[in-house]
Amino acid sequence: MRIGIPKEVLNGERRVAATPDTVKKMIKMGFEVSVEAGAGGLANYPDQMFIDAGASITSDADSLWSSSDLICKINPPQARSDGSHEADSLSDRGTLISLLFPEQNPELVEHLQSGSKTAIALDKIPRITRAQKMDVLSSMANIAGYRAVLEAAHLYGGFFGGQITAAGKTRPAQVLVIGAGVAGLAAIGTARGLGAEVRAFDVRPACKEQVESMGARFLMLDVPMDESQESSGGYANIMSDEFLKAELECFADQAKEVDIIITTALIPGRKAPELILQDMIDSMKPGSVIIDLAAEQGGNCTATVPGEVVVSSGVHVVGYTDLTSRLPTHASQFFGTNIVNLLADMGGAGDFKVDFEDEVVRKSTVVRQGTLTWPPPPDPEKPPVTSQGKGDSEVVADLPQPKKNSGHGHGASNEPMAIGPRNVIALTLAVVLALIGFTAESAPVPHFVQQVTVFLLACFIGWQVVWSVTPALHTPLMSVTNAISGIIVVGGLLGVAGTEVNTAAVLGAVAILVASINIAGGFLVTQRMLQMFRKEGN
Amino acid sequence: MELQSFVAIPNVAYLGAAILFILSLGGLSNQETARRGNSYGLVGMVIAIGATILLLVVPDAYGTTRVISSDNWTLLIATALVGGVIGSVMAKRVAMTAMPQLVALLHSFVGLAAVLVGISTWLTADLAGYGSDLVHLLEIWFGVAIGAITFTGSIVAWAKLRGWLFGKRVPGAPLLLPGRHGLNAIAALACIGMAVPYVSDTVSQAETAVELEKQLQAAEGVLERIENESAGIRLMQDEINAAVAEVERIEAALQVASHPSTDSRAFLFLMMLTGLTCLLGVHLVIAIGGADMPVVVSLLNSYSGWAAAAAGFMLANDLLLVTGALVGSSGAILSYIMCKAMNRSIWNVVFGGFGTDGGNPTGEGAEIEGEVTVTDIEEVAELARNAKSIMIVPGYGMAVARAQHLVNEFSGMLRKRGCNVRYAIHPVAGRLPGHMNVLLAEAGVPYDIVLEMDEINDDCPETDLVLIIGANDVVNPGAETDESSPIYGMPVIQVWKAETTIVLKRSLGAGYAGVGNPLFFKENNKMLLGDAKDSMSQLTALLT
Repeated sequence: MRIGIPKEVLNGERRVAATPDTVKKMIKMGFEVSVEAGAGGLANYPDQMFIDAGASITSDADSLWSSSDLICKINPPQARSDGSHEADSLSDRGTLISLLFPEQNPELVEHLQSGSKTAIALDKIPRITRAQKMDVLSSMANIAGYRAVLEAAHLYGGFFGGQITAAGKTRPAQVLVIGAGVAGLAAIGTARGLGAEVRAFDVRPACKEQVESMGARFLMLDVPMDESQESSGGYANIMSDEFLKAELECFADQAKEVDIIITTALIPGRKAPELILQDMIDSMKPGSVIIDLAAEQGGNCTATVPGEVVVSSGVHVVGYTDLTSRLPTHASQFFGTNIVNLLADMGGAGDFKVDFEDEVVRKSTVVRQGTLTWPPPPDPEKPPVTSQGKGDSEVVADLPQPKKNSGHGHGASNEPMAIGPRNVIALTLAVVLALIGFTAESAPVPHFVQQVTVFLLACFIGWQVVWSVTPALHTPLMSVTNAISGIIVVGGLLGVAGTEVNTAAVLGAVAILVASINIAGGFLVTQRMLQMFRKEGN
Repeated sequence: MELQSFVAIPNVAYLGAAILFILSLGGLSNQETARRGNSYGLVGMVIAIGATILLLVVPDAYGTTRVISSDNWTLLIATALVGGVIGSVMAKRVAMTAMPQLVALLHSFVGLAAVLVGISTWLTADLAGYGSDLVHLLEIWFGVAIGAITFTGSIVAWAKLRGWLFGKRVPGAPLLLPGRHGLNAIAALACIGMAVPYVSDTVSQAETAVELEKQLQAAEGVLERIENESAGIRLMQDEINAAVAEVERIEAALQVASHPSTDSRAFLFLMMLTGLTCLLGVHLVIAIGGADMPVVVSLLNSYSGWAAAAAGFMLANDLLLVTGALVGSSGAILSYIMCKAMNRSIWNVVFGGFGTDGGNPTGEGAEIEGEVTVTDIEEVAELARNAKSIMIVPGYGMAVARAQHLVNEFSGMLRKRGCNVRYAIHPVAGRLPGHMNVLLAEAGVPYDIVLEMDEINDDCPETDLVLIIGANDVVNPGAETDESSPIYGMPVIQVWKAETTIVLKRSLGAGYAGVGNPLFFKENNKMLLGDAKDSMSQLTALLT
């Protein structure tokens, strides 16, 4: 089978769908490879390198297309400068592997439904663990995230890392990354690597751990985030109004503090949400930089002009849509490797087939032998939801996790009442104690012995109960024991309760006086103290 | 309905009250249930008092009803009301910083009440029927002794706490009499010694009373016989008169003998015991330094419980017994916790003069070498702004500077920015166990970010910034490393493991225990000198 690698037609595109390295692998798999002359030039892969790798060079694009069984390229087929359309050049039995974005390009999809052409959309490769090695969106997002930081650093007039020199010191640049997908995480890692201090936001609380593992601070909103669960495919859902409002307030606060904002917020199949509004841009320090990775989908920033850098209130707003193309050598390498992995998955040259039993192939095939096969049928059961892993490589199959307790573990639980095991023991003992007290009247034990028994049991109960008191409440514990010690008022009452006001009665009365102070003072001051204790947010 | 069926009610009520008291302490196991716990205690108290009143007005098991004069009723109600009002006003007015004084004062009241109840019980004892009970007499003796120690000990503690709080920097320096352990031992022996004449006098008086009662019965028998023999005969009138006079004489003597008198020698000894144990209480507490007040107040808390329990023994009242035992063990646990937190032996505190035994009380510890780095507000604000995790270690100095509200504002602000701010509380951070928690709660700090030393110590290495406000000894690394330091062995918050520590301090002086702090010389430590309140207000201003 013959694979054709055409030169990209898209204006400004520097990448190429194969590199000498991936060509070697294709040939090893049994393919024959033909590369259009100059295809890798802008990515620093001259034709000679392809020849050395074993490919042949074809100078005419049209004949390359028509003579190949398989065309691997990056961008969706489009009209060439001479007016002809790339898709028309595909041979009738040919297979096209490239980005297609079928939702956005219905005409192209129609165009491809002729003869028995087959078209596989690389952007439709499902985000499952097995397909990660073929996922060009992830590998390109990683590059975009990296490049975004470099673009920001290029435009920013200061150091990223804090400097301490004889000429003075500077504080590290403050970077805010919105959206902690692959691109966001790559941006965090790159900015951290340059020494900046990074904070990141994502509507999916499950990202917190990943963000923190990259060395950034995860911003939390006050509103509960559990509604903001992950949709299938590792992208964020659309949020409620309340959430959106809190989110925007958070960004407004952040805008005043940070030097660099990198936005990567995308909602699948929709226009990108507008998150950085004009007043936030106005509130940023002059010289700050905003890199909008969502520029192609309309941008996360009001001021974004796709493909351009605009200056608004002294802030550079970068809307480049070709960030990956600005790193062509390695972007081509990754892209090419993704394609090689896909070809291997499809059986290589010897056993190449569009196998609909293969979930990856089924989901990404838009046209098979001239008939439309897109969109694919819905899953019989939900495949494992994936979210993007750290950096560019692994995917962590995780469902939204319960928010981890970030150090509020205080022993103070939300249990309705503290009838813990200790109290159960204590209550049981109290009953035993009571029984002893009741039966003692008739029992042949001396009164004193019975009293000692009650006393020791009560000490034991006290010991059990008091150890369960949280140390934070030891002062209220003391004041409440002050109050209940006032029960000695009973002794005073017995002293006063006589026929005349004699010495004993007066002594009893003074005892009542001080014991009443204890009772009233103890309980009231305890109540006062306990009312002060409140939980965060109450 | 016959009144006698009410006899069982007080017992059941006492049982209910005892359980409610247990639940009230159990409710304090966490902040969610604490308020309900306090209400349980209050309900228990109301039930107990109501039951006691009922006990006074219904006939006892033998069917006799107490006679209570209206004067006594008036006295009872008036004192209870006055006491209640005084207590309420005190509870309402007391500043949270003054809680230790209030608690100490309330302990002294329990002690005083125990003394008074003890003496009153002795005075009202019916010797003819009950008085020769040796155990009962000794219960009174012990109750008065422990009550008096609690009373004066707490008064001294209260005075020390007050004196210190007036800011005169008189940190209740220990007053050490020469040979004080000897003095304590002599006093204890004297207490035991004086019990002998007190018991023997009372017992002999009781024997007299019993004897008189027999004589009275005999005389009454004689009178009855004469009256029967002389029925209608006037001749025997003289004999009858003589017999009646004899009965009246014996009755009068019995009246005197069956109730202990304030003129008796036994009463004198009881008073001497009271006086001596009062002195003992003063002596025990005055020998303890002001820094150790948390331990002393906890210990007196325990004593007040034992005093109440002793009253329960002497009055044969199970509710008092149970309550006293609960309070006593609670105080004992608190004392134990405090002693452990300060690395002290409980016996040193019990017998007074702790921290002064063996070795040099004002030991300097090892010489510390190095440079102290002084920082400024701007740098601290900068550090706080960039920190992801901040720990605040408050000490009593923060409360003295009245900076806690500003500290709360500061931490709230940082938390809003997503910074994980938490408070680390050393058990002896305040002047009472749990005092600092109350002070922070008053300032509005949510309790779920206030952690105990043991809960937070492991997090120190992952903390970016530690702010030490008004604390010193509780963060002294010397307690772990410097064997010559007087506080060696005391558990401390390991702040030096954090990335940066900032100590807010008025000057570079030593801490309360008079010990130099090597933390100040660590490379990752910076000193922010000045009044804590001023510093915090500037800091919060910079962060807004």
